[in-house]
Amino acid sequence: MSTMYHHLPVEAYTSQEWFDREQRLIFSRSWRFAGLVEDVPGPGHYISVQAGLNNLFIVMGRDHRLRAFHNICRHRGTQLIRAVGKTQKALTCPYHDWTYDLEGNLISVPDEEREFPGGVDKSCLGLKPASVDVWRGMLFVHPDPNPPSLAEWFGAVDPHLGPHDPNELVEYEEARSSYDIKANWKIVVENYIDVYHLSHLHSDTLHMYDHAKAKFGWEGPHYHFWEPPSADYAKNLEKNLPTPRVIPEPHVGAWVPMLFPGIGLGASEESWNLFIITPLGPDLTRIENRSKLADASSWEYSKQQWSSWSFWKDFGGAKYKGEDAQGEDDPMASRDFTAEDVYACEQQQKALTSPYLEIGPAAKGESPILMHQQAVLEFMEAQEKRS
Amino acid sequence: MRDFHPLRLSEVRPEIEGAATSLIFDVPQDLQATFQWQAGQHLTLRFMIDGVEERRSYTISNPPWAPLRITVKQVYKGKVSHHVAGLAPGDTVEVIPPFGSFCLTPQPMGRRTHYFFGSGSGITPLFAMINAVLQEEPYSVAHLIYGNADEPSILLREELEALQDRHGDRFTLRHVISSPSMWSWFSPWRKGRVDKDAIAAAIEETPPEAQDVQYWICGPGAMNRDVKTALMSMDVPDTRIHMESFGGTEAENDGVTGVKATATVRLDGADHQIAMAADQTLLQALQANGLSVPYSCQSGVCGACRCQVTEGTVHMRNRMALEDADIANGAALSCQSLATSETLGVNFDR
Ligand code: FES
Ligand SMILES: [Fe+2]
Repeated sequence: MSTMYHHLPVEAYTSQEWFDREQRLIFSRSWRFAGLVEDVPGPGHYISVQAGLNNLFIVMGRDHRLRAFHNICRHRGTQLIRAVGKTQKALTCPYHDWTYDLEGNLISVPDEEREFPGGVDKSCLGLKPASVDVWRGMLFVHPDPNPPSLAEWFGAVDPHLGPHDPNELVEYEEARSSYDIKANWKIVVENYIDVYHLSHLHSDTLHMYDHAKAKFGWEGPHYHFWEPPSADYAKNLEKNLPTPRVIPEPHVGAWVPMLFPGIGLGASEESWNLFIITPLGPDLTRIENRSKLADASSWEYSKQQWSSWSFWKDFGGAKYKGEDAQGEDDPMASRDFTAEDVYACEQQQKALTSPYLEIGPAAKGESPILMHQQAVLEFMEAQEKRS
Repeated sequence: MRDFHPLRLSEVRPEIEGAATSLIFDVPQDLQATFQWQAGQHLTLRFMIDGVEERRSYTISNPPWAPLRITVKQVYKGKVSHHVAGLAPGDTVEVIPPFGSFCLTPQPMGRRTHYFFGSGSGITPLFAMINAVLQEEPYSVAHLIYGNADEPSILLREELEALQDRHGDRFTLRHVISSPSMWSWFSPWRKGRVDKDAIAAAIEETPPEAQDVQYWICGPGAMNRDVKTALMSMDVPDTRIHMESFGGTEAENDGVTGVKATATVRLDGADHQIAMAADQTLLQALQANGLSVPYSCQSGVCGACRCQVTEGTVHMRNRMALEDADIANGAALSCQSLATSETLGVNFDR
């Protein structure tokens, strides 16, 4: 019998076989985050994204509609598709210059008569269609040309995601980053949705919000979370916000949902952030952070920074100080909640290989972890039934 | 199915100062199911005027849950439109139940962006469709680009504005006026016509958020063609464009001639052999042989005379009422079909 980690066997976090199954049944069968709408700003622009086992290609036509295809040239399968030409009316593969129109139809094959004396039936060699749609300013792709709509997928959780309209905000480029965590993607998700750890691991880094008053729950496989500002922070909230507001008053608090699979949002009075989790291996996970702030003048930014300075100058500190810290690089002395989380995730992953591992009871604030494990199991089961 | 039923008028309402008339029908309980409709479908009405039978198709200008209503624009010297304006509540009109393939079926969990391009009375089916989207597709958005000669001739204006007030986040309304009056305070979104520039500007101002995009066009034949050409020049694929022409589509003689043929016609469970002359449409040949099949507009617009070609081929002069996919599946409009093969098989029963 394998050791259980609540609802899942420990292998779910360590074995290549589980990783492969999740790639196939979860990440290749669901709506994947592909970027922000700004990433495809106008006709002729295109991007490609890896979504589980599929590489998908998104291009915008002159009608401003996005099209998505599997980035597989129907000749030799090469992942090389590009949009070219002044009007970007054609998609082409530079390997042998096979060319497709914006609906994916193969329209030209060079030296057709000479190279294919038997003829090529272009009508059955179109690019394979996939799906793309936009939700709250984010691009999502699905490998299936007829998937459940984003309304079916996110409709029920949407009212819990906060009053933010990302379309009105501007990206804060300096906050864009990507890094890898040496842990399974589910460990990272579990850390993100663990309500219990907030007042402990982050005792001195996230206490501007009142974790004891957090409200959280599920809509299908999607987790939602909201907590109000702590008394100290709320006393002079408008003055204390580090940057200008992105939502109208009287809305306050932090919305930190985790959409399935691995699409974390973190939104508050003054910012809207993305935390995209992509599994790279059983014990390696990529994080992509993007951040949007108010579309306000630099004067308004300076004003807000100035007014909030007195609150933030003494705010926060290291989890362990002085003698308790293990030198300068100790994440527990970093004063940075992300460093604290990454460290916790990696240390937990390491523990999973110990023959002596035994998981203790789950706290109330850890109930989301059990729910997420359940969501993973249910999604895979449903997909397995389909195939 | 395609039989006439007498319906009583519950209301007759003049619109735009008498330049149009709305008729609201009282549908008795036992006909409710027969008179169910999809946004965009029509009714065919039959009147006896000066001893002559006149048939006309009108789009239902209400969404499916509202009262059955048509809105008829007054046509200069138009016999039928004048007759309609003279009707009164309590009068009975003969009506064929709703049909037509230019219809929008709402998808409650769908997420679509609908662009509507209309002009003049072409608004009637679009109005029904926009209502259907706003009521029954909560995750979808509708944009209307609506052309008219001048401000007073805008049909259903208050109702459109009310929709905009109620659904400002999901509905945009743009008026395009071709001959604006100097004396009007009304400032349209644009002057001119619903042409390529107007279409491109509208799409650029409100690009699709939901990426399942559908385009609905309804106006006179020439406008429809222009809008469709403009959309296709912007990479919009044919399959996403739906249209119906309104007013003034006489069957164009496109120069194609048919051949003399023998047609086997299945109608009401029986087979009939009829001869068709080279310049005779299938409908004309049927009528010459005393066979009665459903029809209405006789210009390829309404779809009432639709049949299925089971053998041989036909040429259709006008085929507004059919989508390309219907034609690929063998559908034909008998009022527009000339035989192009010497033997023909057609079926009216399915
Ligand atoms: S692989 Fe693309 S053209 Fe040959
Ligand atoms: Fe954390």
